Amino acid sequence: MTSSDAFDISAFAARLDYALEQLERAAPFAKVSYRSRVLDQARRLLMRPGGVAALYERAGRLDDAGIFGGTDWDKPAGLLPRLVGNTLRYGERATIILECLSLLRFLAVAKGAHSVSGLPGDQAQHFLTQVLALNLERIFGSTSEASRVQAGKQEIGETVDAVFAFLLDKIGTDDILGILIDEIWRILEQRPLQVGHVKGMIVQIAVVLEGDAVHGGEMRLGADRLISALFGPTRLSADDVGVERYRSRLDHSDSLAHLKEATGFARAMHDTGLVSDYHAAFVQWLIETDKTNLIPHALGLSSTGLDGYRCYEPLIIAIIREAIHPATGQTLLGLALMLERGILYSPPIAPSLWRMLSINVSEHTAATMTAAFGSACTPRAFLLAGLIDLLGQPLGIGQGNNPTCQSARALSMWALNDPDYLFYLVARVALSDRMVMHFEGQLLDSAELPAGLTSLTPLDTDPVSVLLVPHLDRIYAEMGRRCGDRGEDPHRWINPELHGWWVSRSFHIAVDVATGMMKDHAAFLARFHASYHPLYNGNQPVIHPQPAGIAVTDSRGVFVGWHAISIIRAALDHDGIMRVYFFNPNNDSGQDWGHGVVVSTSGNGERFGEASLPFGQFASRLYIFHDDDLSAQEMGAGVPAEEIGAIMAMARESWAGDRQPLDAAAQAI
Amino acid sequence: MAEKNPDKGYVAVLGWSLRAIDAMARFDRRYVIVAPEWAESYAKEHDIPFISWNFERLNDRSHEIAQTLKDMGVDVAIPLFEETVEWAGAINSVLLNNPRLLGQSMLFRDKSLMKRRAQLGGIRVGIFEEAMDKSDVIRFLKRVNQTLLKLEGDVNDPIHMKAFDKAGCLGHRVIRTADDVDAISDDEFPALLESHLDGWEFAVEAWIKDRKIQFLNISEYVTLGYSVFVPATPELEKWRGRITEQIEKLIDVFDIDFGFIHPEYFVTNDGTLYFGEVAYRPPGFNAFELMERAYGFNAYQALVLAFDPKTTQEEMDAFFPEPVKGASGHAGCFGVYPRRRVVSDLDIPEETEDHPYFEFHELAPPMEQKVTKRTAFGTHWGLVYFFGEDPHEMRELLKRQEELDFYV
Repeated sequence: MTSSDAFDISAFAARLDYALEQLERAAPFAKVSYRSRVLDQARRLLMRPGGVAALYERAGRLDDAGIFGGTDWDKPAGLLPRLVGNTLRYGERATIILECLSLLRFLAVAKGAHSVSGLPGDQAQHFLTQVLALNLERIFGSTSEASRVQAGKQEIGETVDAVFAFLLDKIGTDDILGILIDEIWRILEQRPLQVGHVKGMIVQIAVVLEGDAVHGGEMRLGADRLISALFGPTRLSADDVGVERYRSRLDHSDSLAHLKEATGFARAMHDTGLVSDYHAAFVQWLIETDKTNLIPHALGLSSTGLDGYRCYEPLIIAIIREAIHPATGQTLLGLALMLERGILYSPPIAPSLWRMLSINVSEHTAATMTAAFGSACTPRAFLLAGLIDLLGQPLGIGQGNNPTCQSARALSMWALNDPDYLFYLVARVALSDRMVMHFEGQLLDSAELPAGLTSLTPLDTDPVSVLLVPHLDRIYAEMGRRCGDRGEDPHRWINPELHGWWVSRSFHIAVDVATGMMKDHAAFLARFHASYHPLYNGNQPVIHPQPAGIAVTDSRGVFVGWHAISIIRAALDHDGIMRVYFFNPNNDSGQDWGHGVVVSTSGNGERFGEASLPFGQFASRLYIFHDDDLSAQEMGAGVPAEEIGAIMAMARESWAGDRQPLDAAAQAI
Repeated sequence: MAEKNPDKGYVAVLGWSLRAIDAMARFDRRYVIVAPEWAESYAKEHDIPFISWNFERLNDRSHEIAQTLKDMGVDVAIPLFEETVEWAGAINSVLLNNPRLLGQSMLFRDKSLMKRRAQLGGIRVGIFEEAMDKSDVIRFLKRVNQTLLKLEGDVNDPIHMKAFDKAGCLGHRVIRTADDVDAISDDEFPALLESHLDGWEFAVEAWIKDRKIQFLNISEYVTLGYSVFVPATPELEKWRGRITEQIEKLIDVFDIDFGFIHPEYFVTNDGTLYFGEVAYRPPGFNAFELMERAYGFNAYQALVLAFDPKTTQEEMDAFFPEPVKGASGHAGCFGVYPRRRVVSDLDIPEETEDHPYFEFHELAPPMEQKVTKRTAFGTHWGLVYFFGEDPHEMRELLKRQEELDFYV
C-alpha cells in the first residue's frame, strides 16, 4: 500500500465515521434518513485497498447504530446462508453493501469482537463457512454468464470478491476445504485451456494442508492428488526439490527410473489435466540428452497418438523445443491430446505447423503476446503453445471476462472441425495484423473495421483468443451491420458466412424479432426434434458442430441474456436418457439455469469440455438453431405432443413467460 | 430520548420533517409535531407527540388549532415550510397575544408585498413588477432591455420570473426571449418579475432573538439552483459587516422580534447589496445539514432556541460557535439534473466519486427513462454532498459538477 492509499483510506474512514455518528445519534424513527448515506460511505470505503478491514473494525458499531434496522438483516439469527449469493449477484447496489456489512458483522460475532443476542459465536462461524462454501466462484474468481451480463456491477463485484477474500482469510479454509477440492475437480474435468486460477487455489490448499494432521481421509486424498500433480507427481520430484536439483537427479538415475518418471508424469497429467513444471523440465531434458524415445511415454500416448508421433517425430520435437518451457508446460497436455486426435494426418496440418515454427510475428502481435503473457518465452512460443492447446482441447477455450462468446465459439469450432483454416487465420493475423473474410461476396478487412462488442484486446484469455478475438469481433459486428436491417435475426446469415459452409443454411428461431414475442414455438421444437433427436430424425448423428442460440436463465429461472453455444452431438447417456452435448464458450459450463435445469459437465457421458442436458431441458432454453433440409424432411411427425407441451411449459416458466403472444395468452386462459 | 426541561418552552413544529423531529427528540424542549394526517400512524408507531392538521389556506378553523395548542400549554409555533409560515403567524399571534405577527407572516408569504415593504424601508432592491399575464412579461422584458440601451437584435439581458408564494427556486424561470415567455403556462400567474443583476448571489441564514442577530451564516451560491456551500469564501465573507447591517435593517423594517430568516441578496461588483427576497423558515437545499457538517451545531435545535420565549441569552451564546472560524471545513451540495433527454441508469462520475471532498449522494435511480424538459428551477433529482478544507476548491468542484452526467 502506498502512502497515498493510506491517506485515502483514512479520509474515507473519517467520512464514514461522521455519517456513522449521525446514525448513532439519530432517534430510532429518524435512522432511516441516515442509512443511505452510511451505506454509500461504506461502499466507497469498501472499494479502497484495505477498506474491507477498516469496515470490519466498524462492523459492530454499524450494527449497534442501527444500519440493519427495519430490514431482514436486523435479525441475523434468522438469515439463510443460501440466500446470500443471490443477493450479492442480483441485489441493488445498496442491498449488496448491506449484505457485505452483514457478513462482516457475522465475522465480528464469530471472532468475539461483537455480540448479537440470539447469535452465538459458533453459529456465526458456521453461517460464514456455509456462505463461503456456497460462493466458491467468488473465491475462484471465475465469473458466470449471469454476473458478466450485469456489466455495470463489475466494480461492485470486485468489491464483493475482496470481502470474500477477507472472510476466507479470517475464517480459514478448514471447513470449506472439502467443498473446494470437489469444485476444483469439477472444473478440471472440463479440461479448460486456462488453469491459472485453479493452480492458484491448489497452492492455497497446499499451504493450508502443509504439516496439517487434522484433515484426513477422502478429502486429503483428493487434495494430495492435486497438489502432487503440480508439485511432485513422480518419484524423483516428489519432495519438490526445484528444477535444478531435479535435473541433476535425472543425470544420476538409470533408464528404468527415467521410464518411471515418464509414465508417472503422464499419469498425473491425464488424471488431473494439470502439468507440473517438473514435467516440462523432464521433457526438455529428454531432448537435450537425446532420450526422445521416452517422449511418447511422457505424453502418455495411446496407440493412435503413438502412431502419429512416429510419423511426425521431427515435427513434434521441433514443437517441443520451440514451445515447451516452464511457462508453457501445460501445453504438453495439448500436444498429447492433439496427437490423439490424429489430425496430423490431414495433409495441410503438418505444413501449417512448420510454418508456425518459423513465422516472424508482427511487432503488434509480439507486443500483444508480451502484454498478455509476459516475456518468459518469445511471442512466437506463446502463440504456438496456445495453438497446440486449442487443437488438443477444442472445447477448452473460454471467453474470459469478455462479451465475445461468438468469437470463442468460432475458434472452438474451427479447432474441432477446420483446423487448417484456424492455422491460416492465426498466420494471417500474426503476420499482417488483419483478418480478411467475405460476407455474401463482399470483402471484410478487420484492419479497416470499427470496434465490435469489445473495444479492448481481451488479455484474460488464451493466446489464440488474445490474437484473433479483436479481429473476429470486428468482423462479426460488421456482418451484423450489413444484415441488421433485414427484419430477421442476423445470425441467419452471419453464422454460415462467419464459420464455414458446414453451418446449415436452414435457420430456425423461436422468437419474433420485431416484437420479441414467441412465434410458433411448438413447430420450432418439433423441427428441432426432427433434426437433432436420433429417435425422430432417422438416427442421424450431428456431423459438424452447429451454432445454436440459448436463452440463458439464472438459478431462479429468470432470463439473463442470449448466448452463443454449439451443438456437438445428441446421444443416449448411460442411463438411457437422450442428451444434447454442447459446447458453451463460457469459462465454466456447469451452470444452474433454474427450475431443475442444471447443466452437467461430467458423469453423464460428457467428453472433455462438453456440457450436457437431457434433450427436453436443453430444448426448453433453445431459441435459435440451424439444420439441414436434407435431414429434416418429413420426419419428426412422431414427436409426442405431450413432450413438446412439457418443453414449452418449461420455457414459459422461465425465459418465455413474458414473451407469450397475446392470442396465445388468451387461449391459455 | 433527551430529558425534557419543564422550565423551558414548549414548541409546536408545523410540518413533517424526520430530521427536524429527530433534532427535537434529542433536545431538552418539549415539542409537538403538527402535520397532515398521512403522518399520523408513523408518529403513533414511534411515540412522536403529534397533532393531525391539514395546512390548506388559512380559514375559520385556524383559530381552532391555535386554541388547541394554547390549551396544551404550547408557547410558540415554528414553521418548517413555506406553506406553514402564515399558519405559524396566525397561531403565534394567539399564543403570544401579538396580532401583528399574522400580518408580518403575510408579508413573508408574498414576494411582491415583501419587496415593496423592503423598498419602503430604504432597502435597495432591483427593478420589479407584478405580472398578471404573458403580455406583462413581454413588456417588462422590453422595458428592462431598453433601459439598458440595447438595440433591436442585441441579445437581451434576462429577467427573472418567480411565483409569489412558492419556496426557493420552485417556479423560478429565467426569461430571455419571447419564446421563453410563450412557454409559460397561464396558471403560473400572477407572478413577480425582476431585472437580472450581474453579480454574486448568496443567501443568509440568521437566527434572531430579542431583535438581535444571534448567529449569521452566509451561504455562497456557486450557480443558482445548482449548488451552495457554507461558510462562504473569504471574498464574500469580507462583506460580512455590510451584510450584518442589511440584516439589521430587515429586522427593523419587518419588525422581527425573534425567529429565523433566510434572505437572498446580490452583491454587485461595486459592492452594492441588493435585497432579493426573504423567507421565515429553514432554507431548501438542505442548508441546515451543511451548517451542521461545517459548524457541528444542529440548526433545528437552534431554531427552537430562537423561537422559544424562555430561552436565555446565555443559552444562545453557549450554543452558537464563532462564525467562519468555528467551522471545521466547508460543506457544499450540488443538485443534480439529468443532462440527457433519455436516461437509464444512475452513474456517479468517476472524477466526482474519486474527489477527496465527495461525501455521499442522495440520488435515486431513474424511475422514468424520458427526462421531462426543464422549464423552471427547483426540480433537481437529488443532492450530492461535499466537504473539504478549501473554499475555492469547493467552489471549483461544485461548478465542475454542472458539466458531468450523473444519469446516463
